[in-house]
Amino acid sequence: MQKLVDEFNKSHPDIKVKNTKLVWAEYYTKLITAVGNGNGPDIGISHTSRLPDLINQGVVTDLDAVAGEAGVDWATFNQNLLDATVVDGKHYAVPIDTHPFIMYYNKKLLKEAGLLGDDGKPVLEQSADGFLAFLKTLKEKLPAKTTPFALSNSNDDPYRLWWALYSQLGGNDLVSDDLKKAEIDKAKGIQAAEYIQKLFTEGYIKKNDPDFYKNFQSGTAAIMMTGVWATGTWEATKGLEFGAMPIPKLFGQEATWGDSHTIILPLTKSEDPAKRKAALIFADYVAENGQIWAKAGHIPSKPSVLEKQEYKDMPYRSDYAAVAGTVKFNKPSTKNWQIRDNVSFKILNEVWANKMKPAEAMDKMEAGVQKELDK
Amino acid sequence: MKIKKWRADAQALLFLLPFLIVYGLFTIWPMFKGVEMTFYKWTLIRKMDFLGWDNYSKVLQDREVWEALGHSLIFVVLTTPTMLVLSISLALIANRKSMLQKFYRSIFFIPSVLSVAVASYLGLFVFQPYTGLVNSVLHLIHLLPGGTEIFWLTETRLAWIAITLITLWWTVGFNFILHLSAIQEIPDEIYEAARLDGAGDRQMFWRITLPYLAPITKTITMLQIIASFKVFMQIYIVTGGGPLDSTRPIIQLIYQTGFKSNDLGYAATMSYLLFVILLVLSALQYWMNNRKGAEL
Repeated sequence: MQKLVDEFNKSHPDIKVKNTKLVWAEYYTKLITAVGNGNGPDIGISHTSRLPDLINQGVVTDLDAVAGEAGVDWATFNQNLLDATVVDGKHYAVPIDTHPFIMYYNKKLLKEAGLLGDDGKPVLEQSADGFLAFLKTLKEKLPAKTTPFALSNSNDDPYRLWWALYSQLGGNDLVSDDLKKAEIDKAKGIQAAEYIQKLFTEGYIKKNDPDFYKNFQSGTAAIMMTGVWATGTWEATKGLEFGAMPIPKLFGQEATWGDSHTIILPLTKSEDPAKRKAALIFADYVAENGQIWAKAGHIPSKPSVLEKQEYKDMPYRSDYAAVAGTVKFNKPSTKNWQIRDNVSFKILNEVWANKMKPAEAMDKMEAGVQKELDK
Repeated sequence: MKIKKWRADAQALLFLLPFLIVYGLFTIWPMFKGVEMTFYKWTLIRKMDFLGWDNYSKVLQDREVWEALGHSLIFVVLTTPTMLVLSISLALIANRKSMLQKFYRSIFFIPSVLSVAVASYLGLFVFQPYTGLVNSVLHLIHLLPGGTEIFWLTETRLAWIAITLITLWWTVGFNFILHLSAIQEIPDEIYEAARLDGAGDRQMFWRITLPYLAPITKTITMLQIIASFKVFMQIYIVTGGGPLDSTRPIIQLIYQTGFKSNDLGYAATMSYLLFVILLVLSALQYWMNNRKGAEL
């Protein structure tokens, strides 16, 4: 991001962008309180999933008028990413990327197990049984110390996998369309949870792996799943021959978990139109030059960037760029983060630890989601 | 005479003024503001609706709140008595005349200079499966069969043990110093006299050392109970309050309600509930101490 800011400042002498880095965990609290005090920044970053809450609190302003002035053409963005930033028919953010949940694989280990095709891609039938058979072969063919599938046992990543499979089954979010009621597609939720629980109980995923990133990084795990941000880390790891791909289509339709970084205009005291326009010119510039941002592994929000030679020259990214179209976003509920942190994570963790039946988990999740929505 | 006293008071006030201003601004005023917050739906950026006593009636019926309070109480019960025994034992060890006296004093005290984050992360590494110190040692001495692991941080009971051990290791140093200096205050003549009368080590410990340590032990107990009730960071880092909120203390719930669920009003209400509980406990302790004092 700093590099983007520097290049922008060089090429736009009349606009000056200053970048502040904050510790990730404190970012939203600081942003919200700063805006509340009238000391908010002219420009900010938000996750798409966090946007509804910021709108509800009156922290961000809508962009339609100023976007026109700044010459932002909404048609140049990936429709799926853009749609997720539109609330009540108004644009509230400029998406700059998406960072979906994808699959990485260790080429050496896959080859050893006879599961690497001549094209350098895994030999894997894209179905629920196919993926299980793939893992089974990995477990049988590789030494006992090798983990077939590196995945955390709690919180984010197994939740993301569950969300992906639930969405592949056609599950329709956890809240109703009017955002007032918990509405989980329980049969589908149970099916997805049972499938993942099996991966844990049958020993394909290492139990209570203290550091599944390190497990894959040190070459002792055949595949792993997490967000695209790991690409940059794996690239920098010496001796790790890896590949990246969308997570397999195990059920009816392509879908995965994902979120986007977007640029927002926080509410400021003065609401200086010139500053607002400048901020949006910057936002569009960042999206337009997504190839720089993509170094971290993220997928740029403008399809045109994917065609740039600079982007194509970077390895791995093109292998999963198409995922941008299949990311399943949450509905624009103000409670997305609370539902995820306070309900989904902790209940699903019990399923992965084999202490709760998926059916019971879905009942508990429904009650928990409703409780969060009622708060 | 009177004028002199008045002048002395005025002088004292002058010197105290900077402190009083800061104290008032950052402690007293927020306390009143906090009370105001409990009557509103109050988010991170603004006061929204007036709720009257709603938050109060809600907090008394909220199962999550009582469960979290229960967890804080479990932590108090687990740590306070063990802390006292450990602190006195270490003080006795470090007080014995030996070559290692200085060494003991340093190693018992050193952990308490660490910050909570450092102590907790060390604990995390010690108790984690596969590579953690505890499981590795258990494997080494064949108490734990090869290929099996104890998951200290994901089973409720084991997690409590891990959290208690980490806390004891980290905080015992401070209490140890208090006990040690109290032990050193006990006049040697008393022990000499007792020995002449034929008292054994055990008798001297129960009849002399322990009674002499009673005042400082009472103080440590009270401070420890209050500190333990306010436990948050080490649990947050080590277990995150899990599995399934089974180790989540009240402060973590307050934090989550205020800053994650964005409901400062309700979080403030919970804080005052905790405040009242601590106040009652302190009053009880004070009353008991005074009564005992009168009996003696």
